[in-house]
Amino acid sequence: MLFVENLKIVYQGVILALQGVSLRVGEKEAVALLGPNGAGKSSLVRAVAGLLPKFEGRVLDGHIRFSNQDTTHAPAERVSALGLTTVLEGRPLFRHLTPVENLMAAGHRLPARELKEGIEEVFTRFPRLYERRKEQSGYLSGGEQQMLLLAMALLTRPRLLVVDEPSLGLAPKLVEEVMRTLDELRREKGLSLLLVEQNARAALGLVERVYVLEQGRVVFEGSREEAQKDQDVMEFYLGKEVVGFRQAKRYRRRKRWV
Amino acid sequence: MDILPYLLGGLGNGALYSLLALGFVLVYRATSVVNFAIGEFLLVGAYLTYTLSLRLPLSLALLLALPLAFLFGLLVERGFVRPLLGRNVVAVIMATIGLAAALDGGVLLVWGADLKYFPTGLPELGFGLGGLYLSSRAVWSFLLGAPTALFLLWLLQKSRYGVLVRAISESEVAALALGIPTRRLLALVWGLSGALATLAGAMVAVAGGLGPNLVLMGLKVFPVAILGGLDSVGGAVVAGLFLGVIEALSQRFLEPLLPGFTEAVPFLLVFLVLLVRPYGLFGQREIERV
Repeated sequence: MLFVENLKIVYQGVILALQGVSLRVGEKEAVALLGPNGAGKSSLVRAVAGLLPKFEGRVLDGHIRFSNQDTTHAPAERVSALGLTTVLEGRPLFRHLTPVENLMAAGHRLPARELKEGIEEVFTRFPRLYERRKEQSGYLSGGEQQMLLLAMALLTRPRLLVVDEPSLGLAPKLVEEVMRTLDELRREKGLSLLLVEQNARAALGLVERVYVLEQGRVVFEGSREEAQKDQDVMEFYLGKEVVGFRQAKRYRRRKRWV
Repeated sequence: MDILPYLLGGLGNGALYSLLALGFVLVYRATSVVNFAIGEFLLVGAYLTYTLSLRLPLSLALLLALPLAFLFGLLVERGFVRPLLGRNVVAVIMATIGLAAALDGGVLLVWGADLKYFPTGLPELGFGLGGLYLSSRAVWSFLLGAPTALFLLWLLQKSRYGVLVRAISESEVAALALGIPTRRLLALVWGLSGALATLAGAMVAVAGGLGPNLVLMGLKVFPVAILGGLDSVGGAVVAGLFLGVIEALSQRFLEPLLPGFTEAVPFLLVFLVLLVRPYGLFGQREIERV
């Protein structure tokens, strides 16, 4: 469904953020993209969403194909119309708008009738949002905002959902809830999912395959089981000590990846 | 008591300020661009209406001028705003200043510097009631201004398009991520702004004649918009009416004592209001969740 091939991205003409990343997400597949801060995860998200120009970035080399079309340089509008919806990091909802208005904005492609039904469906699923439907969304709690964002993403009627760091700044309990909701929604609607996370533990629970990105390169690729078996991934992203600290020789292993 | 006629006349004038400020505030709100060429929008619109009225009855000329002005707004967006998209907003603001100078010159070139009068007026609607006389101009301003303002308020606050424009005005990236056609909507806002300025400009020109110094009315948009809160559409309407009345009253009572003072009154008022309410009367506050 989504194919990224050898993608290179530069910002402001000089800063190389991705240096040849390849990745794919199949029909109805859930894939996690893990990696530390500054690995280039968000750059990849922006690129597939067609938002790079807004960040003074540009695709230097490589291709992005979504739904059998070349979308490497496609504007955000077209990518979205093809069925790829992105939830950017930092909970980018419209803070001065009420939840209802946020949902209206998200469902801009739907006919009036369908939009109304869609909003009602959201409110049945998230009663908290219904209670606060007339307040400015900026005053919702972090968890409520994340739920609202997921609901908004669904109203764009996506086939592939790209979610960037939904766990950021949320309490562990809420992270669990957000992930569970994401998983439920995905299965219910039959969506593909690309989940971009720093919080590997939270992400691994709901995906089938895993990519690990470091310094603009893919350093690990495999099924969830393989990821859980891999010493490096376990150690660096799940914080499990596989071997003793002294024998681990972190520096050398890291080097092998670069 | 002779206050009432001034009050009503002031409201009529104020309705025109409101229209002009509406166009200005819509653009500011949607794109955060302060359009310094708003006076020129008004000027070009008024001259367009004038040219059309040489061949057509005035009401028809006005009807025809509005879509043309809309197109003019679209062109400005296409030619001056869109190429600068993604740059610093200040760059766009500077571009509008340059555009203003160019349009001022252009208008002089095309229409000349002499004062022009419309060959026909709008149908006479002035009426007297008791000892009170309401001028045709005031009635017309109100008749055209009030429904337009109400319609725009409804459009922005309640309609689906309005929600989209407000969404874009808050975060363009977030809107783009949802696939909202931001560029098309922003262009429409510029077009709308052009049409509103034209309506206001034509009304003033029909009543008082038309010359290059009509552009000065564009200056009025700043106290009105700032008083109402730069990003508040409702505020622009209220502040326009309010300043219209204040101006009329000052004309009547202060002018004999302090000649020329009326020109300064709106700005003085803005200064005083901002001291108490830095966001203007109805401006939006930043949301901070602690």
